[in-house]
Amino acid sequence: MNGVKKQSFQFQLGRSDALRSSIKQVYIYVVLVLIVFVFSVMKLDQVEMFGRGHFLSPDSVINLLRSAVPILTLSGAFTLLMISGYIDLSVGSAMSLSAVVYALMILNGFSFWPALLITLILGVIMGSVNAYLVMNLRITPVIATLVTLSLFKGIALLIVPDGLSAIKGSPDKAMPGWINDYARKEVLFGLPAAFWVAVLVIVAMVIIQRKTILGKYAAAIGGNRIAADLSGISAVKIVWILYILVGLFAAMAGMARASYMSLGDPLSGDGMELDCIIAVLLGGTAFSGGEGSVAKTVIGSLIIICVTIGLMTVIPAYWQVAAKGSVLLIAVVLNHLLVRDTASA
Amino acid sequence: MKPTENVLEIRNLVKDFPGVRAVDDVSFDIKRNTVHCLVGENGAGKSTLIKILTGVYERTSGQILLNGEEHDPQNPRDAKQKGISTLFQELNVVDQLTVEENLSLGVEETTFGFLRRTDKTNQMVSVMNSIEPSIKPGQLVSTLSVAKKQIVEIARAVAAESNIIIMDEPTAAISESEIARLFTIIRSLRENNVTVIYISHRLDEIFEIGDNVTVMRDGGHIATKPVAEIEDRSELIRMMIGKTVFEHYMPRDDISPDLILQVKNLSNHRLNDISFDVKAGEVVGFYGLVGAGKTELARAIFGADHCDGEILFKGEKLRANPEKSIAAGIALVPEERRTQGLFTILTIRGNVPVMNMSKISRSGFINAAKERTVAQEYVEKLNIATNSIEKEAAKLSGGNQQKVVLSKCLFADADLLMLDEPTRGIDVGAKSEIYSLIRQLSNEGKTIIIFSSELPEIMNICDSIHLLYDGSLKSTLRNGLDVDSEYILHVVTGGD
Repeated sequence: MNGVKKQSFQFQLGRSDALRSSIKQVYIYVVLVLIVFVFSVMKLDQVEMFGRGHFLSPDSVINLLRSAVPILTLSGAFTLLMISGYIDLSVGSAMSLSAVVYALMILNGFSFWPALLITLILGVIMGSVNAYLVMNLRITPVIATLVTLSLFKGIALLIVPDGLSAIKGSPDKAMPGWINDYARKEVLFGLPAAFWVAVLVIVAMVIIQRKTILGKYAAAIGGNRIAADLSGISAVKIVWILYILVGLFAAMAGMARASYMSLGDPLSGDGMELDCIIAVLLGGTAFSGGEGSVAKTVIGSLIIICVTIGLMTVIPAYWQVAAKGSVLLIAVVLNHLLVRDTASA
Repeated sequence: MKPTENVLEIRNLVKDFPGVRAVDDVSFDIKRNTVHCLVGENGAGKSTLIKILTGVYERTSGQILLNGEEHDPQNPRDAKQKGISTLFQELNVVDQLTVEENLSLGVEETTFGFLRRTDKTNQMVSVMNSIEPSIKPGQLVSTLSVAKKQIVEIARAVAAESNIIIMDEPTAAISESEIARLFTIIRSLRENNVTVIYISHRLDEIFEIGDNVTVMRDGGHIATKPVAEIEDRSELIRMMIGKTVFEHYMPRDDISPDLILQVKNLSNHRLNDISFDVKAGEVVGFYGLVGAGKTELARAIFGADHCDGEILFKGEKLRANPEKSIAAGIALVPEERRTQGLFTILTIRGNVPVMNMSKISRSGFINAAKERTVAQEYVEKLNIATNSIEKEAAKLSGGNQQKVVLSKCLFADADLLMLDEPTRGIDVGAKSEIYSLIRQLSNEGKTIIIFSSELPEIMNICDSIHLLYDGSLKSTLRNGLDVDSEYILHVVTGGD
């Protein structure tokens, strides 16, 4: 009701709206540069920071990019899902379960390709469970995937034997040495296969978003569900595909994490859903769906990784989580203030 | 303060929306303690007028005097405090609360955060009791009938000491006996210092309950006079429709006898056993007032809503699913273009091809060049006023938005095009462009069904006219120079 009056008021703000929207276009890059800059000039003499003492030193950058593999692998598909107006809170648990299952298979003599294939199938199954709950049983996405978050994590914890914290090598049964080749062994420019796969996934997701019917329908469904239905777009089919993609890439991220750590940690994906959501929101995707950009989610993901890794080096462990929360809070509030006014005009 | 004779005086009221003047220089008075009826076709400006009175819209110009004083409510709550309550068609009660809780909603008093039963609540309950003793204060509102929920709302308005209660189509969803009960209540309200502004499409009710009536047409004020001075329904109808110009319509005899659509015994919660046939290449119109079931019929044929009965398209049974309907060759331009037809955050380029993506893509990949060509083609073909196909649909005017929705449906290559209120809320120029487009499409062999609450529109372009009232198909006419618009109005307002 008030909206009617407010709208006519906003028309008069045309010029500052244009300014605001151009700020919105570039601000996320500024935030990334700023964060990198701050960490680069920080000096603590007594501590060996960032590998060789500089945030932008080659070792430090390689370390940072390797840490970014899971979120880069996952956040593209996650963006598409959020553009369609849906969400998957179970990605972290899906990652953990995949990591545990993958490590368990490797420990028991599976070779790389079969283990990878089975892990990916597991991802598809987890995505399908979410899709079925949300699209066929019509359970609110937040509730449905909160339940599967708990379920997947529960299964991961069950798989790990009593008395152990993770699936790992023991004196009588050693983890094969090659398990971490995928996530650590240099392939190109000092970076491992897992990183380049993540890059390929991101490129594929950018293309899907911009050039394919799937990407377009995701935006249509998130932008106006009623119009999408009346235009003959099958939201059920499209969102099913998106949930499966998210499940698939969560499995892939979990497998990369297991390779990196050479073990299957049932808690390794904890907090991934939050990182993904924040990366997507920082990238300018509206929480309600409709518009968004996979490419900008990549920038959002890098911000999160820089903050995480940067703070890990300069701040005492106890403070890290709170400090990361604070930095991200500022970014999210800024983002909200900028996105809100341009979106409603 | 001595009460003025007129509780409300409206002077030269104007309300402009982009491209449309919804209320055009309206002036009339509403006498204190009367039942004042407001009638007019859809789009006549009644709702806009009410929304200005209740603070939903801001007027463009003009003056409103309430009890002799300037009335400029900032929002509905403000209007309520000044004594104007409204009973909307969508009732404003909370089903999960009790009658008593509903009555005191928003005016609760508390002690240390705990709800307190006050004199005010008691007084509200006694008002409730005096109006309708059969409603118990402790009853859950969800257990009440629509009519009784209305009474709860009326009691709330009375207890808030409203001296004007606006009722918007209060009888649309209640039974005959409940209507009689409502009228008794309205009469007792009038005796208890309340003025009722009564809006209804059912003209017989105006004669039964109204003291005065104001007729509006196309945003303008036609007449305000005592109901007793009005001869009969047809006088009222004549005032509502004015001189209907339909010289544009030329009877056609070249329509093929082939049936493209056969609808048999279609029923659902809003439709009542509807059967009709449509010939290939015909322009068919469905006319009825708000709530007659036009949109519901369109959605049922399209497969967007569940229904019983049989629909044959080109001799084959339709599957109840918009995706399948589009594939079979049916497209629907929905009633509300912004919320149902358009992807407002997408560009024109993004909107136009969305119903037929396979035509501009290969194995899932969109051919961007083809997409641009298609969008450009439709911008030119339908004369969409824009400097670029990259303009967001949200930023177009209503008429141009409607053309984008039409483009979408045309690109779907449909043989049967259903248009639900194709020209609602758009300016005259765009309207006539859309009419000539419809004729052109019909000449190209497309079949078109128009669902409209604007009679001139139906009479200007349709070959045959179906009349709907209360979910039933009441009458079917062939259009021609001998079609009697008064008869049509008679049928769609519930006459026999």
